[in-house]
This record gives sequence, structure tokens and C-alpha cells, in this order.
Amino acid sequence: MVKILEAKGIKKRFGGVVALSNGNLSAQTGQITGLLGANGSGKSTMSKIIAGVYSADAGEVIYDRKVVHYANPHEARSNGIAMVYQNLSLVANLTVWQNIVLGAEEKRGLLLDDRQSRELSREIVEQLLPGLDIRRTIDSLSPGEMQIVEIAKAISKRPRLLILDEPTAALELAQVKSLFSHMRNLAAQGIAIVFTSHRLWEVMEICDDTVVFRNGENVAQVDLNRDGRDPEKIISHITGETARTRQKTTLRAANTGASVLKVSNLGYGTVLRNVSFDLKKGEILGIGGLAEQGQRELMLALAGYYPETSGEVELEGRRIRLSHPAAAVRNRILLVPGDRESEGLFLRHSIFSNIVFPRLGARGHPLFTPFSKYKEECRKTIDTLTIRTAGLDMPVRTLSGGNQQKVVVGKWLSFDTKVLLLSDPAKGVDVGAKRDLYDYITRRVREDAMSVILYASDNEELVDFCDRVMIMYEGQIVATLEGEAINADRIIESSMHVGNRQEDR
Amino acid sequence: MKPTNTRRLASLVSMVVRPEYSSLLILVVMVAIAAALQRNFFQGPSLLLTIDAFGPLILLTMGQAVVMVTGLFDLSSGAALSLYTCILTYVMRTDQPATGIAAILITFVAAVAVGIINGFGAGYLRVSPVVVTFATSFLWLGIGLFLRPTPGGQSVNWFNAFYDLRNVDGMPSFLKSVSSVVPPVLILILVGCLFWYFLSKARTGRYLYAVGGNEESAYRSGIDTARVQIIAYVINSVFIFLAALFFVGQNQSGDARFGDPFTLRTIASAVVGGIALTGGRGSIFFAIVGALIINLVNKIIFFANIPYAYGTLVAGVIVIVAIGGAQLYSAYGKRAASKGRVQR
Repeated sequence: MVKILEAKGIKKRFGGVVALSNGNLSAQTGQITGLLGANGSGKSTMSKIIAGVYSADAGEVIYDRKVVHYANPHEARSNGIAMVYQNLSLVANLTVWQNIVLGAEEKRGLLLDDRQSRELSREIVEQLLPGLDIRRTIDSLSPGEMQIVEIAKAISKRPRLLILDEPTAALELAQVKSLFSHMRNLAAQGIAIVFTSHRLWEVMEICDDTVVFRNGENVAQVDLNRDGRDPEKIISHITGETARTRQKTTLRAANTGASVLKVSNLGYGTVLRNVSFDLKKGEILGIGGLAEQGQRELMLALAGYYPETSGEVELEGRRIRLSHPAAAVRNRILLVPGDRESEGLFLRHSIFSNIVFPRLGARGHPLFTPFSKYKEECRKTIDTLTIRTAGLDMPVRTLSGGNQQKVVVGKWLSFDTKVLLLSDPAKGVDVGAKRDLYDYITRRVREDAMSVILYASDNEELVDFCDRVMIMYEGQIVATLEGEAINADRIIESSMHVGNRQEDR
Repeated sequence: MKPTNTRRLASLVSMVVRPEYSSLLILVVMVAIAAALQRNFFQGPSLLLTIDAFGPLILLTMGQAVVMVTGLFDLSSGAALSLYTCILTYVMRTDQPATGIAAILITFVAAVAVGIINGFGAGYLRVSPVVVTFATSFLWLGIGLFLRPTPGGQSVNWFNAFYDLRNVDGMPSFLKSVSSVVPPVLILILVGCLFWYFLSKARTGRYLYAVGGNEESAYRSGIDTARVQIIAYVINSVFIFLAALFFVGQNQSGDARFGDPFTLRTIASAVVGGIALTGGRGSIFFAIVGALIINLVNKIIFFANIPYAYGTLVAGVIVIVAIGGAQLYSAYGKRAASKGRVQR
């Protein structure tokens, strides 16, 4: 084992925000180092400095026993540092193989040697995700498949240091397992790997040691092989508090409430088929299942994004048509979408603009916008949701993922919400922000009898917060779990949908 | 057996709904209308005239398409075209054939410089390409007016070779007869096509599409995106240069203003030919189809005896229908694809 990377005392600011105040990280050949920390703790910035995306304001990076200053990712990569990005670095209009070799195409003389490139790509994809057609364009892939291509792209460069920044967020369990076995192979070949994930169990399973970041500096380094794998201890490093025992929120009394949203036989192409359910007042209804089984589309359909759906929707006994997102908002069915950056926020605009925006389009909005009143409300929203920011006028782009998600929720705060649709709200959100978010939502449910439909890719969230959990499989609801049946084992079992497959066909 | 059949069917469907093919369909219809209106449409001399009339827009559109595929625009292409004719006729002296060579070299250097300046503004200074090229269009116009305040200038006789070999003194007669079958502008287009063909087989071609598709991702993949954007503008400039050669050959003079109407027509042609306004999508060769359609619109209006007063209005409506059709077609294709996308 050789120490291939050592970054010492790294500092980095973006405008007024300090992303890294004192970052230290080292990596050894043949080892997998976990990089943990809340969103906004500086771990992404740290990775990007090492990969040459940003340059550090202070501190030094020693790679391969030399002090290096890479001006761009290309330079870092030609020296054997490859990074898999949290936001994908794929080009949607190109094919899988074109993306894998992008920037390092095989050439024969002046011209491209596409046959060689395809051969190389096929070899790598075959190991990671057998059966994926490399001639497909990226925009036809599922998020999980895209992530695999992204990883294949990094591996194809034959790196000596591989940085994986939340590679598993979009993957389902089987894909994660196959990625892990491939990572172990790479480590065995002597590659140093830095692995970032929000899912603690993943770090526990795959990593040899782990570095924890908090507020722009590294606060702990734990050798998992030597010190044992104690999640509680690591959580306490991440949050900076003594580990508190998680208490199960028990509000499971509201099931007797009146029906709020009744959906019958909702259908949309082959993506949604015969979806029927009845959402009660003050209920949190969970939606689970494997990745990409139509959960996201169900949320979008209920928010009026697909006018061509079939079936009926009743709100408080009254038939409504969700023909347009505005119709859903008018009926106070409000969506916190799954992709907050492209669907939920105006990234370059201020927090204030983002939060006030839905108000401007609402019915009964006064001719002249009462800005001072709205600013006051916005300040309250920031307090209520504990959004950590330098001020109302900061662009949303400058916030960490968790705080961005709070802004998306904050948009709807001033509305008298009847149904809140949460599409994987904790994806890419750190532990602290996740707790804030769910605290707020459960409080609203308890106090205002708001109804919530929650799709979560993390089964733990479903178990912790939901009164009922529906499992989706290939666009259908295949099981509904209630009461004691809501536990991780039952959810996974139902997700696989082992029984009665022939009948569906 | 079954899955391969479904896949084959799916790939067939995705081929049919490619937005480019709607433009082919429109082209066939328009050629049929034109041929019905103009009896001798397909006959030699008339076809030659048509090709000469259509050629320049085809060249300019190919250049614009390269720029648009890269996610950029060029609002200065008409002004640049005018500028090149001014430079060519400024340098040339009718009585000194050698000045023609000098004129071509100097103008080519100018064309590369124009491309670099546009690309520098959009690529390195990160100014919106629309703003950059709108601003530079006045630069080109200003320089053109400085060189040639009024239309005119001199041209060497052999420059006719870019328009019609029969007008060139001392041209062997067999070459003259070739010219009556294959007009020089067709050869210029062919040169342009070959130029693009080789680019598309090299890294440059792939990188243009990558940068146009997602600049951030391309940058992260280690591509020098600003350089690629400059290259795109330079390629465009070379196509404009080829068109300028044709015009000076035809008119034997330069004009600092005549190119302006071309600019927006090149963008319209590219869009009709299936080049996405958002970049990254579309085929340069199908842009030629777009240019043919836009050209045919004017031809049909002329031969249909529509009064001049309404001609522009009718042309506008046809262009809108063509562009709208192409967009709807591709939107339908995308929706069909997303609806079917679930179990895999």
C-alpha cells in the first residue's frame, strides 16, 4: 500500500460562501476510502479540486509524491485521476459508446477509429451492466443506466485514482452490489478509490477507511478495518451531535379520516396502469418499489404534467381534471419534484424569487406585488425550514443540496396545501437537512391534517414516516402494506413481485 | 427470437420518426409542385439556372448548421459574405490575372480571422453567441463599406470559373462543355460536403455535437470547449467564403450590403432541415434539404404568379408550416418514445 494522494489544508470559497476551510484527505493504492459528510460540508468541492475542476485558494495537493496544480479536468485525467460526477457528465444526444470514449477517442491517423472505440466500450459495459446496448443514445436510458455509463467512462481511462462522487444515488440494490464487486476488483488491481455516498451502510460495506467532513473541514478519520464498523459513531461525527436514538414517528391514528384524494384506474401509456388508491386526510401514503417502476411518473401525473392520462381523480368527493400543472396547483395538489435542479428551482435566481414565484401565478394575486410583505413571509419560511444561507438574495445555486430542497418545499409553504406530493425528497440531501425536512412535514400533517404522498427510493424513509405503503411494479400497484407490515423486509419482498408474474403478461 | 424482433421494430420506429425525414417528405412535395408549375423544371438549362440560384444558400446553410449543431448561432453570416466579396474585388485588378490568387489567399485569411473573432467572443469571453455575432455583423458591414462604399470593384476574368466556365477566356472547349452539365457551384458544394465528411470522421466532428449537446459535460470530459466553438465558427466562415467565390464569379463585383437577407434564411433553412435550435442534434447533410425547401418556396411563389405584394406573406406562411411541421414531428417522436419507455 502506497499513499498516492495527500491533500493538505485545502481552502476554497465561492463568492461569500466558504466551501472548504481546512480540507485534508489521503488515499492509498488498493484501498477504498469513504468520504462522508452532510451536503454542503465540502466533500464534493474537495473531490473536484483533486480532479482539477476547481483550483484551491490555499493548501497543496500531493499526488504521486509531487505537488500538483491541475488547471482543468483534462490535465488531471491524463495523469491518472478520473472522477465520476454527482451531476452526470454525459452528453444526451450521443450514444453510450461515444460517451464512454468522449475526450479520449481511439484514432487511426487523423480519423476516428470507431470500431476500436466500440470494442473498448463494449468490454467495459459488459462487466458492469451486461446486456446494455452501447449503440443507444443516453437520453433513452434510465437514470441508473446513465450512472453505470458514467462509471464505465471513468474506468475506461484506466485511472490510478478513481473518485466516485455519490455514484449509487440513482442505482437500485442489484446494481449497487454489482458496482461494489467491480470496485473490489479495481482495488485489488492496486487502484486507489475515493467513494462518496449518503447511504451509510454502503460505506460500511465497501470502504476500508473513511474520512468525515463537516462545515468545510475534515473532523474524523476512521479506519473501519481496525476500529470496527459502528454507524452510530460515524453519524455523530457527521452531525456533530451525540448520536440520538432514532424514534419512530407514530402518527398512525389518522387512517380513519375522510377521503381527500381518490384515484381510480389512472393510466398513462405503459408507464402507469390501473393505479387506484384512496388518500385519507392527515395521512402519509408511501410509494415504494424498485427504481423506475412508474413512481416518478405517478407523481407527475397527479401534478398535472401528463394531460393524456386515463382514469378518474376525485378531490374531496369532487371530480377534477388534472389537465395542466396549473390545475393541480389550483386544487392545492402541490409537487416537490424529484429533480430539484431542473424541475423545482430557478438555480440562478435568488431564494426570494424562488419562494415567491408560485404566489405570483396564483389566483387572487394583487396587481401590485406587496414585496415587503412577501419578504417578511420569506424570512419566516427560511426560519421555519432552517434554510442555511447568507440572505434572501443569494442565488439558489450557492446553496447545498439539502438547503436547495428546503427551498423547493418552501415554495408551497404559504399555500393551504391539500395534498403534498414528495418525489424522493431526500435524494442527495444530507442527514441533518433530511431530519429538518421530515420534522417539518410530519408537524404539518399532525397540526393541519395535510395529506402527503411520499415516494422514496430509500425504504427506511417509508418505514419511518408512512401510514400506508403502496408498492409499484411495472406501472402497477402490486401491494399495499399497512400497520405492522410496514418494515424493510416486507417492502423489499413485495418490490420483487415474485408471485403471479404470468398473469400480468 | 422475440426480443430481437421488438428491438428491430423499435429501431425502425425511431428511424421513421427522425425529424429529418419530415423535411425529405416536404421536399418531395415541393419539387412536385414546382415541376407542375414550371413545365421545363427538369430540363437541362432551366435546371442549371435553378442550381445556380440555389447554390449559395446551400453553402451558407451548411456553415450555419455546423454552428447551430455546436449550440451557437451566427447572425453575421450575411455581413461576412458581403465583406468577403468586398475584399476579393478590392484586391483584384482586371488586367492582372495573378491578383486573383492573392485575393483568394487574403480573403481566406480574413475568413479564418472572422471565425476566430466570433468564436473568441462566444467561447472565451462567454458572451451569448447571438449578441456576439449581432455585434460583429456591424463590424463586417463597416469594414465592407470602408473598402467598397458603393457596389462595384474589379475582378479578374478567370473568376468566372466559380460561376460558369463558358465565360472564362481561353478555357478548353471540353471543360466548357462540362460546365454546361456540372455547374461550378455544384462542385463548390461537393467540396463543402467532402470537407464536412472528413471532419465528421475526425474528432472535431464528434466534439461539435458533444459541445452542442452539453457543454458542461463536454468540458468535464476533457474537451477544450472554447476551442471547439472557435473551430465551429471557422468552419462556418469557410463555407461563407466558398459562397463569396461564387458570387464574385457571377457578378464580377462586390457589395457591402447584399448578403444581409441571407442570415435569417440560413437559420430557417437549418431548422427546416432538422437542426435543433438547442444544439447537438441534426445532420449537416439534411440542412441541405432545408435550404432546398426554402429556395423552392420562392421559386413556387414566382411561378404561381402570386402578386409580389402577397409573395412575401405566402412565403412566410409556408416557412412557418415547414418549421412547425418539423418541430411537431420530432416532439411527437419524443413523446412516443418516452411513453413506451418503462420496462427493461
